[in-house]
Amino acid sequence: MTTPAIRIQHLTKDFSVGIRGIKLRAVDDLCLEVGNNEIFGLLGPNGSGKSTTIKVILGLLEASTGSCEIYGKPSKQVAARRSVGFLPEAPYFYRYLTGHELVRYYARICMVPRSEIDRAVDSVIELVGMTEAAHRRVGTYSKGMLQRIGLAQSLVHDPQLVILDEPTAGVDPLGSAGIAEIVRELKRRGKTVLLSSHLLAQIEGLCDRVAILHRGKLVQEGRVDELVEAKDAESLVVEGLSPEGRAAVEATIEAQGGRLARVEKPRLSLDAYFLKEVQQRESEHAKKVRGGESL
Amino acid sequence: MSPLDFCTRIRLIAGTTFLEAVRQKFFNSLLLISIALVGSSTFFQQFDFGAGELKFITDFGFGALFFFGSILSITATTQLFFNEIENRTALTMLAKPVYKLEFLAGKFLGAQLLMFCFTLVITLVLSGILYWRESALLDRLGDELSLDGPLIRYGDVFLFGFLQWLKFGILAAITLFVASFSNTNLYTIVVSFFVLVICQLQYIARDAYSGMEAGWERLLVFGLGLIFPNFQLFNIGDQLVFDVEKALPASTVLQITCYGLIYAVVFILLAQVNFRRREI
Amino acid sequence: MTRPIEAPAWEVVKAGQPEMNLGAIEGALGQGLVVGMLGGFRAILADFLWIRTSTIWERRDRVKLDAMIRLVTTLDPRPDFFWINGSRMIAYDVPNWRIREEGGYDKVPELRQHALDLEQAEQAFDLIDEALEFHPGKAKLYLEKGQIYLNRLKDDANAANWFLKASQQADAPYFAARIYAELLRNQGKNEEAYVFLKELHNSLPNVPFAQKGIILERIRELENTLKIPLWQRFEADKSLGASESESQFNAAVPAPHQHEH
Repeated sequence: MTTPAIRIQHLTKDFSVGIRGIKLRAVDDLCLEVGNNEIFGLLGPNGSGKSTTIKVILGLLEASTGSCEIYGKPSKQVAARRSVGFLPEAPYFYRYLTGHELVRYYARICMVPRSEIDRAVDSVIELVGMTEAAHRRVGTYSKGMLQRIGLAQSLVHDPQLVILDEPTAGVDPLGSAGIAEIVRELKRRGKTVLLSSHLLAQIEGLCDRVAILHRGKLVQEGRVDELVEAKDAESLVVEGLSPEGRAAVEATIEAQGGRLARVEKPRLSLDAYFLKEVQQRESEHAKKVRGGESL
Repeated sequence: MSPLDFCTRIRLIAGTTFLEAVRQKFFNSLLLISIALVGSSTFFQQFDFGAGELKFITDFGFGALFFFGSILSITATTQLFFNEIENRTALTMLAKPVYKLEFLAGKFLGAQLLMFCFTLVITLVLSGILYWRESALLDRLGDELSLDGPLIRYGDVFLFGFLQWLKFGILAAITLFVASFSNTNLYTIVVSFFVLVICQLQYIARDAYSGMEAGWERLLVFGLGLIFPNFQLFNIGDQLVFDVEKALPASTVLQITCYGLIYAVVFILLAQVNFRRREI
Repeated sequence: MTRPIEAPAWEVVKAGQPEMNLGAIEGALGQGLVVGMLGGFRAILADFLWIRTSTIWERRDRVKLDAMIRLVTTLDPRPDFFWINGSRMIAYDVPNWRIREEGGYDKVPELRQHALDLEQAEQAFDLIDEALEFHPGKAKLYLEKGQIYLNRLKDDANAANWFLKASQQADAPYFAARIYAELLRNQGKNEEAYVFLKELHNSLPNVPFAQKGIILERIRELENTLKIPLWQRFEADKSLGASESESQFNAAVPAPHQHEH
């Protein structure tokens, strides 16, 4: 059995608040495992303990009780972080560096060999789609660009586990879709991704498994499809049915002991609709620009 | 992790800390003010003090270096540390395979590099002004002074600058220690300034200790003398430069240097103890 | 761990930072400035107070002047600059002011003028004696006393004593000994001057500032005055030329009332 990417056992984290040292329990007896090569979503409302859990995983906080391991190594150890890349929530980077310099800086911090640095930096910058903007200062970047360059710095040392804290917060749907595509690519490359978010619609189509936290406790955990499907109903999508045919279907359902609960038009999510409209126009615009340049 | 990797990461963190620091408006303003103040010491020539004018310029220059350097050392170190915490660049950094000690040491060295530039610029400006005024005075009064050589030992001007830089290093380390358990910039700066004053005056307690009888008071004074470094050891500017017979021996300079290094290292290690448990 | 390193270094540094009479200073400065002074701004504070002293000197307020000189020298006794210029103000400038207050040089009798000179000179001597406690080997301080005796009090005998003491210090300028010899001559002590100058000539190095040519001239003058037979006359170092003139000697003796402040 392969070692899971993350194994959390009975993790509890208390914070002392105020002079009297009243304990605030941020994470309460959490047990969780993130397997290899999966996209795992850590979901929950604000204050549910997602960020605290991530900080414990990264060794930035010490657990009050319980343990946390990354590929079998205690997460407190610095060596455990060699195989981890992290994108913080609302990342802030040194504004005076260019995107390229920033990623290169972090590559050197992570001791990427000098002979491989240039290739590694160029490769991650291309992966996140920042090649054209890489030589501009980070201070000139938009929110979406900051997220992308943040992703690049988290990937430059080729970590096996990538942790993304609210990667799409404040990013428009187009940007979010781009980040989602990068996450899928990471999975294709064999990486494990743990991402935390409270934007459920964006997560739904992305994660293999999710865990839902509420007030520090694990509420639910499992595969997305299994969690969200209705257990006692099925939907049939029918096209071209006449009113008589519809009446016959209703009668058949009743005869079989079922009950027609409701009739709806299948819907695209607003996200999907927006993307469908905008992406098409974006690609047409890009074609025009490329056509103009070649003249 | 090899020692070379350790040093490389510290060096990288120090480099970005320094680059960030020289972009701070506060540093640039303070540097300009200090240069202007040292430059304004040329107004002493209107008093026609003769060779004494050089003493006035030197005292003024050393005083400006000491005063503004101390302010910059404390405020720059505080800002550089808390910027990382507040902007959460510390989070990004410490999520990498980086030890907290490397982070602290890198911050410290970056701040020290900044102080080195500041000290060097002020010392160069001061030396330039002294050289200009010395030449003018020797042209005017050379025969009266009956000298075999220059009035000023310029090596001592830079020696004073070096010792002040060492002192700024201890101050930066103390500031980092305070910052490691403090929650705000203001608290860190205020406490660090108090510590600076105590360290400047510590020698009074230390000298009193030697005349005290054994008891808890002597123990207390002894403890104070140990915890707070003696900054008067570094304030020897007016003994240097002019007084030929009492030039500072090289062994004393070495002892002061070692003393400064020990305190800087101890305070950084103490900062590390707090910082390890600090929740970012 | 730091004590073995700090202790010897502190002994050296402390030796260069003499004690301060805090009681004397606190009343004048106030506690805030005392803290600043103790905290390492001693020299610069003394410098600023000296600039104030200069402005008081311009106003000719001798009471405040005296107080300020005492304050500055108590605050920072290390630079000889304050002691020497302070004593010059007391010995040369204040008597002039007092004489002018009493009617001027035409009206005030000479005896009274001399009494005022003596009174101020004694105060200046007290200041210099205090300075010598901090700078026991400083030739400038002995010279200052000698010059006050010579230029202000016209007392060649006492002046000679102090110029001799000055010439015996390690940092003595070459002219101190020459002036001593000249003062002996002024007192008619030619034999003593002759012996002294011969010893002086032999002891001095062959450097331009030593002015051995002038010393030789004086020796020759004294040999003529004392009618020393040719074969008993002093044999000088033959490498030195005999073309140095009287004006070089005169240039080395400072004129009265010329002081730096």
